[in-house]
Amino acid sequence: MGQGTPGGMPPPGGQLPGQGDQKKEDKAKKKKFEPRPAVRSGRRRRRKGPSAAVRIPQVFPTSKCKLRLLKLDRIKDFLLLEGEFIRNQEVFRPHEEKDQEERAKVEELRGSPLAVGNLEEMIDDNHAIVSSSVGPEYYVGVLSFVNQDLLEPGSTVLLHNKVMAVVGILSDDTDPMVSVMKVEKAPLESYADIGGLESQIQEIKESVELPLTHPELYEDIGIRPPKGVILYGEPGTGKTLLAKAVANQTSATFLRVVGSELIQKYLGDGPKLVRELFRVADDLSPSIVFIDEIDAVGSKRYDSNSGGTREIQRTMLELLNQLDGFDERGDVKVIMATNKIESLDPALIRPGRIDRKIEFPLPDIKTKRRIFGIHTGRMTLSEDVDLEVFVMAKDELSGADIKAVCTEAGLLALRERRMKVTQDDFVKAKEKALYRKKGNIPVSMYL
Amino acid sequence: MPNPDGDGDGKNSSKDDKRSAVALMVPAADPPTLEKEERGVPQKPEPDDKDKKDKSKEADEISAEDQALLEGLQLAVERVQDKDAGVQKMALEHLRKEIRAATSSMTSVPKPLKFLRPHYTTLTDVYANAAIYPVGSENRKLLGDVLAVLAMTMATPGSRESLRFKLESNAQDLGSWGHEFVRSLAGEIGEEYVSRTTADAPQPVEDLLALVKDIVPFHIQHNAFAEAVDLLLEVQRLPQLLELTSVDEANYQRICLYLLRCADFMADPDDLQEMLVTAYELYRKQGSYADALRVAIKLNNDMARINQLFEQVSDETQKKQLAFMVGRSHVNLQYEGEEADAEEVNELVGNSKLSEHYLLLAKDLDVLDPKTPEDIFKSHLAETGGFSRRREGAGAHHVDSARANLASTFVNAFVNLGYQKDALVTPEGNAWLYKNKDHGMMSAAASIGAILLWNVEEGLNQIDKFMHSQEDHIRAGALLAIGIVSSGVRIEHDAALALLSEHLESASKPVRYAAAFGLGLAYAGSNREDLIELLAPLVADADAGITEVALAALSLGMIFVGTTNSEVASLLVQRLMESADADLDNPMARFLVLGLALPFLGQMEKADAMLEAVKTVEHKMGRSAAVVLETAAYAGSGNVLKVQKMLHLCAEHLQEDADHQSVAVLGIALITLGEEVGAEMALRSFDHLLHYGELPIRRAVPLAFALLNVSNPDYGIIDQLSRLTHDQDGQVAQNAVLALGVIGCGTNNSRIAGLLRQLAEFYSREASHLFVVRVAQGFLHAGKGLVSMTPFHSDRLLASGVGLAGILTLLHAALDMKNTVLDKHHYLLFSALVAMNPRMLITLDEDLNPLPVTVRVGQAVETVGQAGRPKTITGFQTHTTPVLLGVKDRAELASSEYLAYTSVLEGVVILRKNPEAEGAPEGDGGEKQ
Repeated sequence: MGQGTPGGMPPPGGQLPGQGDQKKEDKAKKKKFEPRPAVRSGRRRRRKGPSAAVRIPQVFPTSKCKLRLLKLDRIKDFLLLEGEFIRNQEVFRPHEEKDQEERAKVEELRGSPLAVGNLEEMIDDNHAIVSSSVGPEYYVGVLSFVNQDLLEPGSTVLLHNKVMAVVGILSDDTDPMVSVMKVEKAPLESYADIGGLESQIQEIKESVELPLTHPELYEDIGIRPPKGVILYGEPGTGKTLLAKAVANQTSATFLRVVGSELIQKYLGDGPKLVRELFRVADDLSPSIVFIDEIDAVGSKRYDSNSGGTREIQRTMLELLNQLDGFDERGDVKVIMATNKIESLDPALIRPGRIDRKIEFPLPDIKTKRRIFGIHTGRMTLSEDVDLEVFVMAKDELSGADIKAVCTEAGLLALRERRMKVTQDDFVKAKEKALYRKKGNIPVSMYL
Repeated sequence: MPNPDGDGDGKNSSKDDKRSAVALMVPAADPPTLEKEERGVPQKPEPDDKDKKDKSKEADEISAEDQALLEGLQLAVERVQDKDAGVQKMALEHLRKEIRAATSSMTSVPKPLKFLRPHYTTLTDVYANAAIYPVGSENRKLLGDVLAVLAMTMATPGSRESLRFKLESNAQDLGSWGHEFVRSLAGEIGEEYVSRTTADAPQPVEDLLALVKDIVPFHIQHNAFAEAVDLLLEVQRLPQLLELTSVDEANYQRICLYLLRCADFMADPDDLQEMLVTAYELYRKQGSYADALRVAIKLNNDMARINQLFEQVSDETQKKQLAFMVGRSHVNLQYEGEEADAEEVNELVGNSKLSEHYLLLAKDLDVLDPKTPEDIFKSHLAETGGFSRRREGAGAHHVDSARANLASTFVNAFVNLGYQKDALVTPEGNAWLYKNKDHGMMSAAASIGAILLWNVEEGLNQIDKFMHSQEDHIRAGALLAIGIVSSGVRIEHDAALALLSEHLESASKPVRYAAAFGLGLAYAGSNREDLIELLAPLVADADAGITEVALAALSLGMIFVGTTNSEVASLLVQRLMESADADLDNPMARFLVLGLALPFLGQMEKADAMLEAVKTVEHKMGRSAAVVLETAAYAGSGNVLKVQKMLHLCAEHLQEDADHQSVAVLGIALITLGEEVGAEMALRSFDHLLHYGELPIRRAVPLAFALLNVSNPDYGIIDQLSRLTHDQDGQVAQNAVLALGVIGCGTNNSRIAGLLRQLAEFYSREASHLFVVRVAQGFLHAGKGLVSMTPFHSDRLLASGVGLAGILTLLHAALDMKNTVLDKHHYLLFSALVAMNPRMLITLDEDLNPLPVTVRVGQAVETVGQAGRPKTITGFQTHTTPVLLGVKDRAELASSEYLAYTSVLEGVVILRKNPEAEGAPEGDGGEKQ
């Protein structure tokens, strides 16, 4: 553009005509002091997609019907046309050589070796202030091939070794903490390894899996799918197990984090981690975020003078915002697990943030039988073993307890180098396991 | 959700009840999983499914009730193979009961189906064995029913076995087998129908249609309107919708909306016609006459149907509402009803109250005071303006003061459009007219027409004094003014016709062509045969200059826009073929071509014959004429093949004689106009054209952008155009500037205003650029922001042919700006006026007096195919009528105090008291986001 300074917007309403020259001059003078428009404001273009001219239009309705098919077909046709047109044009002007040349040119402009600096501030579209690790700050140019959209204060940039011009951007990776949370290898537990809990499985499937795989079903009915669920119940009732089964089952990105991981040493790190976590989840969507032991950060708020407590509460506030804040999250579902739901902050589990609360009760007789079945399935049992005794017993056995009993029985058999596990082993094992559970009061006292 | 899987023992007694309740109401037996299997989508195997099967071998690991179920089913399968009919029946009943009861959650496969999987082949074998199941026996039918359900998942995809079994068994009571079954069956019927009808020897389809007759009402009863319409579409029996009793006042709106949206994508004109007619009849049947009228107008101004509606409507007020809507669409309806009644209706159809309503709106918004061009230019805000003037002396800036005055004339005309007074030309005894030279005077005189727009009586009075001027150009301008003033309104006694026709044979050339053009503007879209006689001699005259011929032809095109009038067409094509090369080389010749194309606007294949004729023209104009004609014929059709053809034309790299490429670019926009998906995709194509195209293509691209976004200042488009305004090529830049004006036409968009002011400074030394910037500013502030130039109205359903004609004339003029608008033919800019309409919503009571009510105005939301009662607008604000509506805005009444006579709140809307209103405003849909 050939102008000195870009003209700002006129004041609203404008001015009446016919004012004296004097006034006009004043006006002109005033103009000079107008601050230049902000070049860049924070993450202005971060989220914005490609410009209108290159966007693929959204297609409504979202439910499966002929209209949708017709619209999608039309988009396809146009894309084919574009493809054909571009192919034809490319034949006319082969530009691979030219590209090569241009790349070499860019390479040359970049120079070598490069230096690394920190972008302090953008002055205008072509200039910025950078600081290098050595110390001094420089006012330097930004070369035109640098992606302006990614430049923002604070980012690490590549600098030319002599003129210090910005020639590239080092994309700041996501917090390594977050990338660790991603479950790369699906856990081995599947739904089949869960004894009972049929209604729980159904509920979690409805609220977490189906919205990701079949969003149109919810559209048909006219509801918004739930955003998240909380699993709660006594220890050892299979909450984490179910989450593992979900991870095993789904092809969506599965991020898992334990509540205590969100508590960080430095002020502000916890909330930042939460933000990062959800940003990554959004980037990799569709995704499922599983937060185990949410009571570590999600306990009720209370007045406290301890900096640590306040930090934890701030972490939770960030979590609240991420769950149902101003920014709409896309295909991110949240599963939380806790065994103390009553101690959680009510804001955390209000509908809208957590739409479904799934209780995990202690197994009933039928389920106990199945759990025993699952755990003893691969054990060699002697003929005298009668699991019904344990199943029918009135103890409050959780799934984990049953597993402990079975393992203990196995260990007892191992101790005596038997190849079979006897009923006796089971009786002892149960006593031992329950002894630990009930404290040191012998189980027989209750019988 | 009930979970029958987990049922304890002893719940069997309740199973029957549950089935009858659940089998119908729960949407599907097991949609997702079945669907996936059915379509062969690779999917992770359901572990629990697999697992369960493993377990069915080790019976001790399966839960007790599952075991019972499994055994029962196995037993039934064995019994089915029994020879005794009684045993068979028992077993089949058992299977049937179990399957129908299997309505567990959609998250897992129903157990009976799972357990029956291994037995599918056994059952089909038994079924095939006629010895056990004689053809026609009751049991065979029962087994067929069961197999049809099983085949849904078990048969190989594409084999349509499910349908085969169903056809051979009981075809009634489909719904009891669950939604998913019905959907899958409908899909197979569609496939089967196509394969049967397209087979070499078409087979009868009666049996399929019988099923369709069952399925469609089922779908409609269960709110699956899209599915019902889709199925009828597949079997080409759309009119069946009209016979259904289940289509009632609760759902016809949705069905019709779906039909109308689908109509945009129908490639075959017959299908399109059928679809629209179905929608029309549905609306009419439900007494939604305003909607029916919209469809009738969409049906290419179907006069017979429009008249039918007027006949049918007995309510006077409703009739008036329809008349307002017809008037907005510029349909030249001559209603012949009872005397008094007909007169009023015809008056409203003729837009006689348009000016009154517009001024009412202006008064309400307090913008009646005239604005001067300087108010628009705001040159006091310019940074360099005052400075450079002082430095170089006053003369330096006003190099071309005639040009500057002309620009002011246009800006003044556009800004004070229809306000009846301004500060430059209408005040008594002013000398503005004489500050212009020659042809400038013509536009200056014509601009009076723009200021008095729609008010014929007053207009003719004021213009009259210029009719007797000594100056030819002033007289010509006055004639044009008469044409402009009566554009869009129907005048009694044809005053314009009388005044203009006598000048058609005037001795002065400008007077002749002004009269011809004026007729075109005044009677655009009127389809009046008597005008052919008047204009034909001008067109046919071999000695007449090309300017007169072209303008007369353009006028004919505008008058008969979209009518395929054969007389006009043959007259014009004749002239085109006979014209000398020198004539066709003239820049004005393109309007002859445009005039030829306009009668075929949107008529699709009806232009084919004419296309062949045009192709015989050997001059290069012949090529571009063919393109103009073809693209006009397919305007708004979204026809992808035509777009492809145009893109092929643009693939060539030509520097000269590339006129056909420019119009092809414009043509792509014209074809994709109106349908959002296509239009957005076309924008992408333009991006490529800009990237690869040569200058003639690049010059047309900004105009194509403008055509797709008339009066719709979308941020992305502004951004693109603003980049092009600084293009190295002057014409690209000029076109981009004009395009900015067109996309912001009548919106006062501050972003564009800022850009244009900057451009005025930037190009302050280039007279022609500056002129274009000024004109664009005029467009931007047209009618002080109260009008819109978009050809679309009535919720963007209808395209006005007249409006499109006006915009096309403007854009075609811009294709060769140097020789038209920047030369002596700047009056062509006034052609845009026929496309202008107030962008208002005015509410009237039943006596047609203004009635202020509160309305919500917000961005329109596409609601087709959505469940429930979705919001139709978003980000709304509440106003009191009259209000302004943007191109993508929609309005709804904020309270239930009144009811509107039309479902689309746009333009003039008549309201009546709601008999059921209780004073309390209804809170539907508004508050919740």
